[in-house]
Amino acid sequence: MELLKAIYPWGPVLFGIGFLAPLIAAIMASIGIAAPLDLTEIQSGLIIGGTWGLIAKFGGRWI
Amino acid sequence: MSVTEAQSPAALDKEDERRLYRKEMAIAKKYIGPFPVVMALWGFSNLLCWFALWPLVIFDVIPLWVGFIIATANVALCYLPSHEAQHSNYANPGTPLRWLNELIGYVSTIPLVLPFKIARYTHMRHHKHTNDPKLDPDYEVIAPTWQQAVLKTIRRMQPGFPNSYGVVLSENADDPAAKRAGLEGMVQSLAYWGILGALAWSGYALEAAFLWWVPRMLGTIYISLFLSWWPHHPMNEMGRYRNTRSFSHKLGNIVAFGMEDHIIHHLHPGMPLNRNKAAFRELRPILEARGCRLEDHYS
Repeated sequence: MELLKAIYPWGPVLFGIGFLAPLIAAIMASIGIAAPLDLTEIQSGLIIGGTWGLIAKFGGRWI
Repeated sequence: MSVTEAQSPAALDKEDERRLYRKEMAIAKKYIGPFPVVMALWGFSNLLCWFALWPLVIFDVIPLWVGFIIATANVALCYLPSHEAQHSNYANPGTPLRWLNELIGYVSTIPLVLPFKIARYTHMRHHKHTNDPKLDPDYEVIAPTWQQAVLKTIRRMQPGFPNSYGVVLSENADDPAAKRAGLEGMVQSLAYWGILGALAWSGYALEAAFLWWVPRMLGTIYISLFLSWWPHHPMNEMGRYRNTRSFSHKLGNIVAFGMEDHIIHHLHPGMPLNRNKAAFRELRPILEARGCRLEDHYS
């Protein structure tokens, strides 16, 4: 329970990495967007999803 | 916005009051009672339909965009059968079919990821304190127009916005029922995020997003708009006969999920949704005499 309480505030970051990253990679693959800077699609997803999660955690909103 | 307490705005003497109440209860009794088969079938068939979408989409039997539309409808439709269970309308505690009541309550809202015990706990407070700015857990939906109500629901989904149901549970942390509801809610939410993540990392990210994640957000907005905002707007009165209104929606009562007659539900929560319209028609003269908010109805 204490562990859950500790990680709960980091939910948006975990969501960004755990769900948005593979989703972004899948969207890039399905519509044929090439990842920049020689990155793979999942690397791009992790950067975008992780950053977006951090913004949501500290800014309090996704959009 | 100020909220006023109005028990019965029509000037009725005590004898009229008693006479109307007896008539109201006699009519309501006719519609309360038989097992709500329609609502039970609705709950199970809607859930089965949503489950069926997964293999149908994954094995390319139907395209993802079709699955997305159906899944969004499934999420929006899944709340009301559980709502009947929250009121024990399938079976009261201690009766043989109680297990069925609880089963429908728990499983029908799987697509919405609304934990049954939290829904029941907060919904009973909504009934007890309808439109009370401090005590009604659904008061957060207040907005001057339906468009602003939609925007507000989107704001309420953001991580920085306090969850009104979570606030109710933490304010009642000493209540074992609240504790149990919170625990079940946490398990269900963790399972949801875990399943979404597992699907996404297994190569089914688009299916997870468009059969569950996005439909859940859209369904939540729809439910919040039609089940909370529309029937209670402008949320400025309390009291049995004035805290909820009846209305006519331009797109009809089916689009409004039967909420045109939500006043009947607040007066008689034991009456299943599918009998509200008929009861409303029969109760209408009494509601008029009571000075209820029968808005947009032209007789």
